[in-house]
Amino acid sequence: MLETDAQLLERIRRDDPGAFEAFVDRYGDRVYRFGLRVCGHREDAKDVLQETLIQSYKALRNLEHPEALRSWLYRVASNACLMMRRKGKHEPERELSLAELAPGADDGPVAEIPDPGELPDAQLERARWQALVQEAVGDLPAHYRIVLVMRDMEQLSTQEVADALGLDISAVKMRLHRARLKVRQRLEQTLRGRGARP
Amino acid sequence: MSAGHVHGGPDCRELLGGLSEYLDGELDLAACEKVREHMGDCPRCQEFLESLRRTVAHVRAVSPAAIPPELKRAIIDSWERLRQRAGE
Repeated sequence: MLETDAQLLERIRRDDPGAFEAFVDRYGDRVYRFGLRVCGHREDAKDVLQETLIQSYKALRNLEHPEALRSWLYRVASNACLMMRRKGKHEPERELSLAELAPGADDGPVAEIPDPGELPDAQLERARWQALVQEAVGDLPAHYRIVLVMRDMEQLSTQEVADALGLDISAVKMRLHRARLKVRQRLEQTLRGRGARP
Repeated sequence: MSAGHVHGGPDCRELLGGLSEYLDGELDLAACEKVREHMGDCPRCQEFLESLRRTVAHVRAVSPAAIPPELKRAIIDSWERLRQRAGE
């Protein structure tokens, strides 16, 4: 039977042999993926993973509530990602305004973004869209990107994201919405720039 | 909404801020009804909502990456070394 977070936490507290390995098995992929999506570089994602797993494991012994484990882990990982931001990308964080992301009354018709479920089965077409989406996500200001990755890619609830980032629910919703609008705008600009294909 | 609705006015702008909550099922019933009613009268907002829905679907469809096995092994080994050092 699959071990629950509470059982895993018990083993971590006792420092059982194999507990760290079980912890890596359960959360390694998640943290690595998160680091890759937020930092955009494999080397940074590796460092985020190592830093997050080892630091968290040491501190988890003192975590009282097992249900907080996931949010807590993402908090450590997102701090590690922010620390990892590469040289040259340290410009002040941009804010995204709703006005710049809204369709104007004089804009042409909305470009038709295809439904990913209806893309032709060709692997190349899917890979092209994935690359385009990843690029658009990668260009978001970090504090918007982290929220989008947590909510839409890692499937955390709004409350979990709020807990992980120490934000209130309305701030999480605002950042998520603007991040999505910005990605939508990027996809649309690409479609317009290249005809119907990404 | 009147039949003479022109896209891009205050109604449309007011709705825009809540579209993600609408897609995520986080709006209350009255607000949902307001969105649906507006979409029925404003094809441009409806297109916009659909393009946002598809954008979210694309973001969710990005393939997950798995931790390379050699990286996993390296982290477990480095933890073991840390433990040994601490126990010495």
